[in-house]
Amino acid sequence: MKYSELLFVWAVSITWCTVFLIAVSFYLYHRRKNRSTESGTIRVRLKEFLFVLVLACLLGLYILSINLTSSLVFAIGNIIVEIFLVGYTMRNKTTTTGHGANTH
Amino acid sequence: MAPVSAGWTAGGDATSDTNTQTTSNRKDYWSIPPSDVFRELETSVNGLSEQEAQARLKTYGLNELPTHAFSAMRILIRQVKNPLLFILLVAAVVAGFFELEQSIAIVAIIALSVVLGFYNEYKAEKIIEHLRQTVSLKAVAIRDRKATQIDSKLLVPGDLVSVYVGDIIPSDIRLVDCKDLEVNEAVLTGESFPVEKNFATLQVQNPTPQQLANYMFMGTVVSHGTGRGVVVATGKHTEFGSISRSLARTRPETEFQRGVRKYGNLLISLTLALVVGIFTLNALIGHPIIESLLFSLAVAVGLVPELMPAIVTISLSQAARNMAKRRVVVKRQVSIEDFGNMDVLCTDKTGTLTSGKISVKDYWTPLGAAELRILQYGLLCNSAVVGLGEVTGNPMDAAIWEFANEKGFHKDSDSNVVIDEIPFDYQRRMMSAVVQTKVGRLLITKGAPESVLARCEQVETPNGIEPIDHMRVQIEPKLTEQAEAGYRTIALAYRSVENKSSYSVDEENKLTLLGFITFTDPPKEDARQALNKLKLMGVDVKILTGDNELVAVKVCQELGLTVYRVIRGSELTQMTSNEIRTAVEEANIFARITPEQKLDIIKALKVNKHVVGFMGDGVNDAPALFESDVGISVDSAVDVSKDTADIVLLDKDLLVLANGIEEGRKVYGNVTKYILMGTSSNFGNMFSAAGASLFLPFLPMLPMQILFMNLLYDVANMTLPTDEIDVEYKDLPKRWDIDFVRKFTLFFGPFSSLYDFLTYGIMLFIFGAAPALFQTGWFVESFWTEVLVIFVIRTRRIPFITSKPGKWLTILTLSAVAFGTILPFTFLGHFLGFVPLPAEFWVLLVLMVATYLLLVDAGKVFFYKVCKF
Repeated sequence: MKYSELLFVWAVSITWCTVFLIAVSFYLYHRRKNRSTESGTIRVRLKEFLFVLVLACLLGLYILSINLTSSLVFAIGNIIVEIFLVGYTMRNKTTTTGHGANTH
Repeated sequence: MAPVSAGWTAGGDATSDTNTQTTSNRKDYWSIPPSDVFRELETSVNGLSEQEAQARLKTYGLNELPTHAFSAMRILIRQVKNPLLFILLVAAVVAGFFELEQSIAIVAIIALSVVLGFYNEYKAEKIIEHLRQTVSLKAVAIRDRKATQIDSKLLVPGDLVSVYVGDIIPSDIRLVDCKDLEVNEAVLTGESFPVEKNFATLQVQNPTPQQLANYMFMGTVVSHGTGRGVVVATGKHTEFGSISRSLARTRPETEFQRGVRKYGNLLISLTLALVVGIFTLNALIGHPIIESLLFSLAVAVGLVPELMPAIVTISLSQAARNMAKRRVVVKRQVSIEDFGNMDVLCTDKTGTLTSGKISVKDYWTPLGAAELRILQYGLLCNSAVVGLGEVTGNPMDAAIWEFANEKGFHKDSDSNVVIDEIPFDYQRRMMSAVVQTKVGRLLITKGAPESVLARCEQVETPNGIEPIDHMRVQIEPKLTEQAEAGYRTIALAYRSVENKSSYSVDEENKLTLLGFITFTDPPKEDARQALNKLKLMGVDVKILTGDNELVAVKVCQELGLTVYRVIRGSELTQMTSNEIRTAVEEANIFARITPEQKLDIIKALKVNKHVVGFMGDGVNDAPALFESDVGISVDSAVDVSKDTADIVLLDKDLLVLANGIEEGRKVYGNVTKYILMGTSSNFGNMFSAAGASLFLPFLPMLPMQILFMNLLYDVANMTLPTDEIDVEYKDLPKRWDIDFVRKFTLFFGPFSSLYDFLTYGIMLFIFGAAPALFQTGWFVESFWTEVLVIFVIRTRRIPFITSKPGKWLTILTLSAVAFGTILPFTFLGHFLGFVPLPAEFWVLLVLMVATYLLLVDAGKVFFYKVCKF
């Protein structure tokens, strides 16, 4: 397989993987246990799906940096996303969630 | 000494029909008088000497049946019975003809993996076995002329043994003496009613067990009276021993066992499909056949949760050990999970919520006078017996016995002789004794006031005998008053009877009421605290008592237990099964119920999808203990209860129960963690491996590299059972939910695949990696993500910040990561086909893995908080 073909197949694979994950997220949201937030505003929805937006951005970053074969772009992009994710985690800091901490 | 031979039938099918069994090859001790039995077995009324007993023990062996105790071989077989391992082994041997080095490495990794699993499971099983042995059945044998309580395993033919109510008969025994002895032989014959026993010689040829009234058989239960006899057969030579295999009662799978098994089967079928698929595709696109086969098998091995039995066993043994420290002995280790998941606890009142030491508070005539004759009659109509200097039997009878003795009354006086007894049963709720007094023969009846009063026509007053009808209005409020005050009351009545050889329940009518005896059993001091704790843990406590509902309500109120609804046994009798299902949800006190109704209540709760625990200590509790998901008994309980129970409390205390439930929840939590980890990271890795092999001109990882990673991963997970559980996880009982596991896998699995594909991109396009470098890079990334994700998945909280992992889990996991990191630079790494990675890769790896872990953590917020799973 030529380099350009291999890159294309790789990009398709990683995109397919991300799309699958996003599709599962929508499926789970649709099948979620408590639907009290269904009537939420667009802002609420965006907040709820922030993780999916981050995922889409990461996919863009990964395809771009690999296409550019740039470790620097990859590293900087990762650091920015990590800072954002740390903030996101801290905002959603949970000490008690529903029935259990570990599993279901 | 005559030989002690086995079985009723020589080589016949003992299980087909016990009624057709014969005694052709058994020494006929039933047909000779007790004195000859002593002579034949070279023993006497003074029993054996300790020295002789030891000698016989060497000859006949321990009095125990072959059990399903753990064996090293069974554990080893469990490690290797995975068909994939076997196929992989065969494939490795075949590969040896082409690439010997790889073949040896694969075999070595498989062997190491098996040894690791074996070692851990063996150690865990040994601990469980040790704990199980701490609860042993006892027998009262006469040795060196003294009655001694010994472990029933040490009984030998010729031992003289005494048995009491509630005892499980420890071996086959020829009776030489007995008193009102009734034995329930249901375990042997299927007959649910107890059979009367005597010690008279029988002249029967080839009798069935049912015909041998002068024999007691191992495993049967004394339901009434006392007896003494000579052991004629022990262990596998007993009747029970010869048919025990077929009679062994197998418990149904617990909910968790069923869930884990279904999950395992799902993974195995998925894995087999994957093996066939990957192998076919790889072979079709031109990869070498042997390499493709080994690769597909290695991927499959990576997916199979082969460590699951070890994790479960280690978790259970660890929990059992912790529970033993809190004086809770686990007899059936799989019950620990159900113990944690239990959401309804049915318990009796006496001894659990109350002190259990019943004593006589008062005795009174219908007009309120203290009449000593009430005590005297209570003593004459009494089933308590004196054994080993202690008054045993029904606690109320024992209390009357002790109280009457204090007042100077003794049962064996010359003036009153007990001629016959009509035993107590739970249907009549009373017993009677026929007594020869100086003035004639009397039938004295003692029992539940409503049962006795229903059979009374007259009442004794200072003015003489009067019709009872006009007195009922005075008596009933007094009884209610006593019951509301939390006291139990029994009634005593009598009538004259004519002289005849035997008496039946038909005589229990037209009685004259004499009076009442009131008992007290105060609530336990720590029961309130325990009930509160159980409530906070989501365990609904239901009281199942044979006692009066007013007494039960009073005790519950004193302990702060809210009474929602009280149902009497008589109401339950009128209900359909659907109505019972509704009633068991609404009520939390069931009063005046029979053992059969206890069983009905537990069955109904189970049908309603509850995990039900039952705590009991009496003979009549055994069926309920067996039927419940978790049977709990206490060390002081009768043998049959202890034997049936899954868990034995060394102290009859609800507080230790709460501690045990916490341990159960910890086990469940840690086993579930392993399942979720396996599904989320292993699945992702193995799917991306399968995907990559299709477009890469070489294998993304060599088979032995995959197997080695799998081994390292297993090592890292070994300390998972020691991990901490977040405090809120212990709050409520959990239920096995395969749908949750499926959703979790579907959501968290692709995260791992995403980062695997990213690593492929980095290795191929940034580093332009050759096969060895590519494989090394992916091995390290895959291992880091697979192992480190445990810290994120193990909790719903923020890892390390709001939820700290267990010390040993942290140490071992980080050590495994460190080992995986330096591996490419070592000789072993070189042997496995790894090459050193460039410095730039490590920088990218750290960033990539950090993003991965943070992304999974953000995914957790979406999964748990937004989707509310």
